[in-house]
Amino acid sequence: MDPSTIGMVAFAAVLLLLALRIPIAFTLASVATVGAFLIYAFRGGSFAPERAIKPTSSMVFSNSYDLVHSYELSMIPLFVALGHIAYKADITTKIYHAAKVWLTKLPGGVAMASVMGCAGFSAITGSSIACASTMGKICTPEMLRMGYDPRLATASVAAGGTLGSLIPPSVLFIIYGIFTETSISSLFLAGILPGLLTLAGFLLVIAVWVFMRPEVAPSNDVRYTAKERWMAALDSWPAVLLFVVIIGGIYGGIFTATEAAAVCVVAATLIGFAQKNLTVIDLWDAVKETCVQTSSIFIIAACAKIFVAFIALTGVAPVIVQAVADADLSVVLLLVCIAVIYLALGMFLDPIGIMVLTLPLMIPLVESYDLNLIWFGVVVIKLLEIGLITPPVGLNVFVIANVVGREAPIDKIFAGITRFLSVDIIVLILIMSFPMISLLIPMAAR
Amino acid sequence: MLVPLERILLALGALAVILLGVLITSNVIARAVFNTFIPDSVIMVRELMVAAILLPLAAATAQRAHVSVAFLSDQFSPRVRSWSIVAGSLFGMIALAPLFYKGSLELMKVIERGSFFSGDLDLPKWPGYLFFVLGIGAAWLRLAEVFVRDIRTISAGGTVSDEQQHAGDLLEEGRN
Repeated sequence: MDPSTIGMVAFAAVLLLLALRIPIAFTLASVATVGAFLIYAFRGGSFAPERAIKPTSSMVFSNSYDLVHSYELSMIPLFVALGHIAYKADITTKIYHAAKVWLTKLPGGVAMASVMGCAGFSAITGSSIACASTMGKICTPEMLRMGYDPRLATASVAAGGTLGSLIPPSVLFIIYGIFTETSISSLFLAGILPGLLTLAGFLLVIAVWVFMRPEVAPSNDVRYTAKERWMAALDSWPAVLLFVVIIGGIYGGIFTATEAAAVCVVAATLIGFAQKNLTVIDLWDAVKETCVQTSSIFIIAACAKIFVAFIALTGVAPVIVQAVADADLSVVLLLVCIAVIYLALGMFLDPIGIMVLTLPLMIPLVESYDLNLIWFGVVVIKLLEIGLITPPVGLNVFVIANVVGREAPIDKIFAGITRFLSVDIIVLILIMSFPMISLLIPMAAR
Repeated sequence: MLVPLERILLALGALAVILLGVLITSNVIARAVFNTFIPDSVIMVRELMVAAILLPLAAATAQRAHVSVAFLSDQFSPRVRSWSIVAGSLFGMIALAPLFYKGSLELMKVIERGSFFSGDLDLPKWPGYLFFVLGIGAAWLRLAEVFVRDIRTISAGGTVSDEQQHAGDLLEEGRN
């Protein structure tokens, strides 16, 4: 059996096992292990299993150990910890409160504040789902209580949560950086403008929606004095400080993304203790939650690394690259095909799963077209972000549905999401058409 | 017996995350303020990473926190879904077994040879390998336990769900 046939069968097996609910990590590692074993056993013409044990076990061990035994990747547990600690220390909720106090007079102001709160949360943490889940608990019930249309109250937070993938720091950017060996700091900086563009688009959607149908966001009687507004703004200084430390530190070359993560974790903890919003028990709980979350993220990445090594062994990637080269696709057509593939996968799979499954094949393809991998990373993350809110499996939608319960069934949330999706598609087209939107800040930082 | 082990490993993993933050921050302060650095801090961070990521793996497994695609299997009957969850544990054991096997061999090798990292402090290599073997081994044991328990449940006419937390909520411990 030749390696490329084993590679093709392995891909089919992965899809089948994923459909059968086998965890992504275990699917990738078990298929890669069995596939590599067969390749080594068949090497030399005859089937000799004793020949395959040592190279197979070496391949699976070295790839997974090297991934975990990494200095640079320590930023993942640290950024995840930062999100948990900032939440427990009330740092993230104060951003939303400040936005609400300032925007409450505007029609749909609380929905806008929710999206702004999501953006602020995203600027400190790296996970879309964590963002949707946390902000969903705070903002959505409040909007429903104020008589907001459930579609607006839920969809604004589900869509706002996706900003967590694009606005740095982002776990998805870090994982993309690992698999493509591109600078994670550059990826972070590249995500800023597309993230802000998406944020502006979401705010515009809410403004137009409320302008066209004022009944979806009844005005509220709560009025804040100028003093209260400024106090709320001042109260959110820890979040601003952490964001400035992360982006300013990376942009100014003061420290690396890993160091920024560590410094911010320590700073958030000290601020939490100083403001008496964080106890030692809160900190311990936050760190334990971090451990469980990062462990399940890393086991996927480690098993994906094994799968990538197996794919390299099969030689499938060059075959596919050659097939695409033979098809003589234009860059535009290639990008459209890639976008369609990611959007289709995004309807069924979670973002990390999609990335680890597709990047081993996509990256050689993209490199053969001489496309910029930083810009391509932003395009991929934007596509994955869209996948988080597209039916039938929009993870953020399910997170919000879980938070609000019967008050807003899934179909209502998806009905509201379509407006935000249209903006997402426009932003995606802009990012794809004008790479400078993504590359401007990383280039300026050099 | 597994729950206390998982609690200890989770606590050690949490400690490793705290040490990661403190160590890297101390290095930044040392560089910025005193124009010096903590010797071998990169090696220490890499060793701590193995502890932070893999020691809590058994706890994550006990909470069934591994990400899977539920879209298609949600259409299955509860019984078929239960069997697919059992299959997930089986594939997990298949995936982790070679990692545990090779990790153990490498651990023995670095201990026998007394291998160390070349650096200022000549730190030994075995802790990282030990964390790896402990984390993967404990996760494998938990998968085996869940596998057997789920088969028993299904055989008795019941169904299993990957949303339930079989080892109790380890994260709640700190609040008790």
